[in-house]
Amino acid sequence: MAGWDVIVIGSGAAGLAAARHARIQGAEVLVVNKGLVGRTGATITSGGGISVSGEALARLGFAGADPGDRVQDFFEDIVRSGYFLCDQTLVAAIAEGVEEDLADLISLGVKPKVSRRAPGHSSGRGVLVPGPELQKGMTAAALASGVKFREDFVSAELLQSDAGVSGIIGLDRRTGDVEAIEASAVVIATGGTTSNWALRTAPEELVGEGHAMALHGGAELIDMEMLQFLPCCAIAPEMWRGIQIPWILGPQSGVRAWLLNRYGERFLGRWDAQNMELATRDVVAAASAAEVLAGRGSPNGGVYLSWAHLPRDILDQMPGWSKSFSDDWRYQGFDVAPLIDRIRAGHAIEVAPAAHFSLGGIRADADGATAAAGLFACGEAAGGVHGGNRLSGNAGAQILVQGRRAGRAAARHARRVGSIRPEVNWRGARERIEAPLLRNDGVAPAELQRRLAAISEAALAPIRDAQRLTDALDEIRAIREDALPRLAARSHDRSHNRDWADALACNASVSVVEAALLGALARESSLGAHQRSDGVAASTLDHGLCRLVEGQTRHRSEPVQFPFLSQETR
Amino acid sequence: MEIRLRLGRSGDPGITSYQLPAPAEAGLSGDWQGASVSTALQVLQRDVDPSLAYALSCRRGLCNVCAMRIDGDVRTACTTPMRDGILVEPARDSIQIRDMLVELSLVRKARVPSKEHPHAR
Repeated sequence: MAGWDVIVIGSGAAGLAAARHARIQGAEVLVVNKGLVGRTGATITSGGGISVSGEALARLGFAGADPGDRVQDFFEDIVRSGYFLCDQTLVAAIAEGVEEDLADLISLGVKPKVSRRAPGHSSGRGVLVPGPELQKGMTAAALASGVKFREDFVSAELLQSDAGVSGIIGLDRRTGDVEAIEASAVVIATGGTTSNWALRTAPEELVGEGHAMALHGGAELIDMEMLQFLPCCAIAPEMWRGIQIPWILGPQSGVRAWLLNRYGERFLGRWDAQNMELATRDVVAAASAAEVLAGRGSPNGGVYLSWAHLPRDILDQMPGWSKSFSDDWRYQGFDVAPLIDRIRAGHAIEVAPAAHFSLGGIRADADGATAAAGLFACGEAAGGVHGGNRLSGNAGAQILVQGRRAGRAAARHARRVGSIRPEVNWRGARERIEAPLLRNDGVAPAELQRRLAAISEAALAPIRDAQRLTDALDEIRAIREDALPRLAARSHDRSHNRDWADALACNASVSVVEAALLGALARESSLGAHQRSDGVAASTLDHGLCRLVEGQTRHRSEPVQFPFLSQETR
Repeated sequence: MEIRLRLGRSGDPGITSYQLPAPAEAGLSGDWQGASVSTALQVLQRDVDPSLAYALSCRRGLCNVCAMRIDGDVRTACTTPMRDGILVEPARDSIQIRDMLVELSLVRKARVPSKEHPHAR
């Protein structure tokens, strides 16, 4: 064997679906993961919604499904809730395709439950598979299919031949070796870029290496300014930062807790007087951020969520209403009893919008193909599906459908191109990857990570303006020139060197944050997750696309296409 | 705020005691009692011992990569609040890789070791 047919980077549900379906097509498949397979990544933290049309659920034999809810209705809900910024071919692929993946999931022994409540959907549509269960099922299925794995391997660059992508180059954190691994096709399934924000719901590792590799490998990034925030996440104490408990104890469960600013005003009245705290999440996030910007926030930079007007014992019912809480107030791994006591005692809880999901990402078609030959992308790493806002459960559908289709397409590509062409960039890449380890003195990677998170947090918050975006872009470009070339690990051990891995993460972060800033600057009007306080009325609806030209990230606009549902029917 | 670590470096069974920086200096919102053991390790690696090895992913007690022996019991460090003088050890010595890192792979049998890989250069 002259190398792998397909390498998949990332082992959440999208990556493992891609790997397994490529393997079923007969490909030799290697899954490469930065951490431990089946444990790291965002899938495990998912609430577990998988949106499916009622008619598909009825065909699959789910009791209580609504057969009148057609695939077309599901499609239209996604496009409308995304403010028509969605790539409709991607939406159609998901709305139509997820039935096959749900049937597949059931055949693997996963037992989805019908979801009664699906906020924002026109029907009670979809099923629930808790994140850890989905991850477990997908890991077992990938193993059984004969996929092979590399763990603790940080992918940093794509191996290039004169005919396209021919593998990956990265760091084995265990051995400390920088290695090239050859393959005929590479699938990027590295998840979103939310770890670049200080306050986030997502796990530690989602910095966007896949996005940076794709950009440097010749692919485009789409609508990178579109970042979904989850409103009402805890900001203090430190241990609960970014955890969505207040949201679940409030609006998410229909408990009508009030959002108040420091003057005690229910500020959502200025945004959506009818729905108030039950408005869509992009509205609640933007409204909360606006209060902080106007100087009406809470001490830790958020707003107050208050249950004080409700009966003191209303939360006693919560373990019965929500499966997220046990009778003794365990939520996920946390003991939240102290929080419940505070609420019962009449205290409000400080909350803020936390970076939750990357709506933008690598531009790929419905088969995951990117502009770079041999490079595919799927799952949260791939952008353009959800447009300007995402409804709950739609990411679950996205990762399964896109994973399957990208895996199959990568296997086909590998068969077509046959053996691998000689690489042309291994030496330069190895030098770039090893540089922070070998450098004796310079910028500590963790320090730069803090700076980068502060930039995202300030300029790429739910509400943006040209001044802050321009300042941030200047700072990012200065970092690219001055700080990245001076990154230095403070320990020179090769094995499990956190500074070294952090330095590689910084390289990726700078690329994705720069793309998001360029997109946010160019989109001068407010749309869904992207709100501009200095916004102007939009004349056309455009995608923002970033690609690398002579080493510089360049942004261009391209009109959105409406092949199935025209904007006028809005 | 003191944290005590049994790192087991070069077979040394000793316990190393560290004084954590003040909460504001460490960038915390609130005090150390409201922070997790994972945050303490993060701050230690960043500000005190750059070579410290530990794992952290989901920060909500689901993925278990941060399982450690804390004051005698194996728990997820990300959901365990700090206390003064807390003792942190590897979850189990027999699976220790380095410091608080332990072997928790779920796919070990299907893993391609780097040295056996035909294309490792």
